[in-house]
Amino acid sequence: MRRIICRRELITDDVRYPGETPGPDTRAVQPLAQFIGALTAGQSAGPQAAILIGPADELEGLAVHLALVSLIVVEFPKIGEGRGHTQARMLRQRYRYTGELRARGALKRDQLFFLARCGFDSFDLDPAEDLQAALAAFSDFSVAYQDGSDAVVQVRRRAAAT
Amino acid sequence: MYRYDQIDQTLVNERVAQFRDQTRRFLAGELSEDEFRPLRLRNGLYIQRFAPMLRVSIPYGLLSSRQLRMLAHIARTYDRGYGHFTTRQNIQYNWPQLERVPDILADLASVEMHAIQTSGNCIRNITADHLAGVAPDEIADPRPYCEIIRQWAALHPEFSYLPRKFKIAVTASPADRAAVEIHDIGVRLKRGPNGEIGFEILAGGGLGRTPIIGKVIRAFLPQVDLLAYLEAILRVYNRHGRRDNLTKARVKILVRALGAQEFTRQVEEEFEANREFAPRLEAREVERMAAFFAPPPYRQLEDSAGGGTGAGAPAYEAWLRYNTRRHKIAGYRVVFVSLKKHGEAPGDMTAGQMEALAQLADRVSFGMVRATHDQNLVLADVPQAALPEVWRELDGLGLATANIGTLTDMICCPGLDFCSLANAGSIDVAKQIHARFDDLDYLYDLGPIEIKMSGCMNACGHHHIGHIGILGVDKHGKEWYQITIGGSSTGPAALGEVIGPSVPKDQVSETIARLLEVYVRERHGDDERFVDAVRRIGIEPFQERVYETHHLPA
Repeated sequence: MRRIICRRELITDDVRYPGETPGPDTRAVQPLAQFIGALTAGQSAGPQAAILIGPADELEGLAVHLALVSLIVVEFPKIGEGRGHTQARMLRQRYRYTGELRARGALKRDQLFFLARCGFDSFDLDPAEDLQAALAAFSDFSVAYQDGSDAVVQVRRRAAAT
Repeated sequence: MYRYDQIDQTLVNERVAQFRDQTRRFLAGELSEDEFRPLRLRNGLYIQRFAPMLRVSIPYGLLSSRQLRMLAHIARTYDRGYGHFTTRQNIQYNWPQLERVPDILADLASVEMHAIQTSGNCIRNITADHLAGVAPDEIADPRPYCEIIRQWAALHPEFSYLPRKFKIAVTASPADRAAVEIHDIGVRLKRGPNGEIGFEILAGGGLGRTPIIGKVIRAFLPQVDLLAYLEAILRVYNRHGRRDNLTKARVKILVRALGAQEFTRQVEEEFEANREFAPRLEAREVERMAAFFAPPPYRQLEDSAGGGTGAGAPAYEAWLRYNTRRHKIAGYRVVFVSLKKHGEAPGDMTAGQMEALAQLADRVSFGMVRATHDQNLVLADVPQAALPEVWRELDGLGLATANIGTLTDMICCPGLDFCSLANAGSIDVAKQIHARFDDLDYLYDLGPIEIKMSGCMNACGHHHIGHIGILGVDKHGKEWYQITIGGSSTGPAALGEVIGPSVPKDQVSETIARLLEVYVRERHGDDERFVDAVRRIGIEPFQERVYETHHLPA
């Protein structure tokens, strides 16, 4: 059973990816193209769809359908992949997505702080990672210079307009 | 200078703690080399040819004497007693032990310094004009903007895993001593129609394997939008920059592939779409930051011709002419500290020299020192009456070689002696050039010439923009050197042209001598610089002379 970090707690993952066997209470994730394709063909997709997006996927086509979506998994296939950070911030800010946003892939605890600040709230890390120890990484820093999605960090306020 | 508050200090302290734990996990086998690499690089730590190399950030080149003493302490305690100043106004240590790097970072944090983002695929040290605040020709002091950008870029959650490294330079002077045209983003301070400050923004410049001059993508950006616009550029780059090929991943390749016009359109579109969420830079914030860079308490002095004991000696006069510059305040002068002494690697400085210079800075220059992107240091605010004394001290320290702006004021990367990327040595070639051109009077007759040398095509020594550029290449396991001429970092920036087949190591200074021979023969009057002559007559006369005998392969 796969364990993940969700809203800063360890839980058993109920998500099944393409190729994995579904169970009685599992959620199946579909790739973005498949989701858009089904909608285009007039099939019903919601209201609790779970979507998988890759680093090169554009979000513009997804934006209008976000009301149908309750989980977006963003893939980080390689160490050093950074497009997902921008995808997350755009989903949270520009497209006002409020559902679960998960980072999945070649990720260690060392990436958690930035990912959380970009708007991710669940994390499917490298299987070798010690998840209990990883939880401490959300507190790597207590201060920041930029606005972020996490509420716990003290952000440097630039002086406001008079 | 900028002083840390509780937020800044907490951030660097927590960064040290984070890296200490990452180093522990690496040494315990919990992190693989591939996993540890991006983490250590973001803290300035490379694994080099002989030992790790640690690059310490000197934001826009500005150092207090206290910080310089700490750099000396680190050189003595953790290294072999010296450091190497780089073309990004940083300092590198070539011999630290991996296990002790967290302690070095903790020592740096105690004097408001760090090594954050001095390497790795992220936003690097912000560089600026080394004469900021004292140059008579600047529009405004660029350093408050540099510090604002530094803070915005530090641990930016969205832009910490970019396709490739990202360099930003800021200038406020038409002379552009920050080489903004060869940066990923160049920021030029401008005055708007009502005298307000704004910015001309360039993007897509860079050297390396594919040297490209940056393009202007915004002629005038209002001050309030500076960070929002940088964010838009970075976002377009982070989404669309190539990640499949490391050598094609810089933003310059994206700008070239899309065309400057289309790249600009995408940036402007992102800028507009993100207005609601992007940071705004209010005038009050600029004022708050500018207060940190207020002029030091200058005394009311008169301009003089030098004066004092020591004046009149030819060596002093030469130093005064070549190693000092005009200051915007009467009675003061800018002093360059030459790190280009014959026999020393360009940019190297011993712990003893650092400590002595820190003491001198306390006495005569308000306790401040600056690093230049030409690998020298600067005492920016020296009273003219103190110049003879400053000269004697610097001369005693081996820091008064009167060669600033001349042929032997070379830029040079560490090369094969230290760097695992290099194809060829650069330090011993610098020594060869020093030995051949040791007649200062001849150098003075030649006027300003910039030689820039890189040990490989990654171009850390900026060879493309040297008036004479030297690039180390590997030919069947032997060190050869490709020579370019006509490059320039400014006025306008230009990339040098290759004069022909590369030359063997022992022929580098002979080749330069021949180039200079042609220049001396062809130059129009004493004022035409080498690079101007190349621009006027082209490279052919130089090629003919260099390759005319059997000394060199045709």
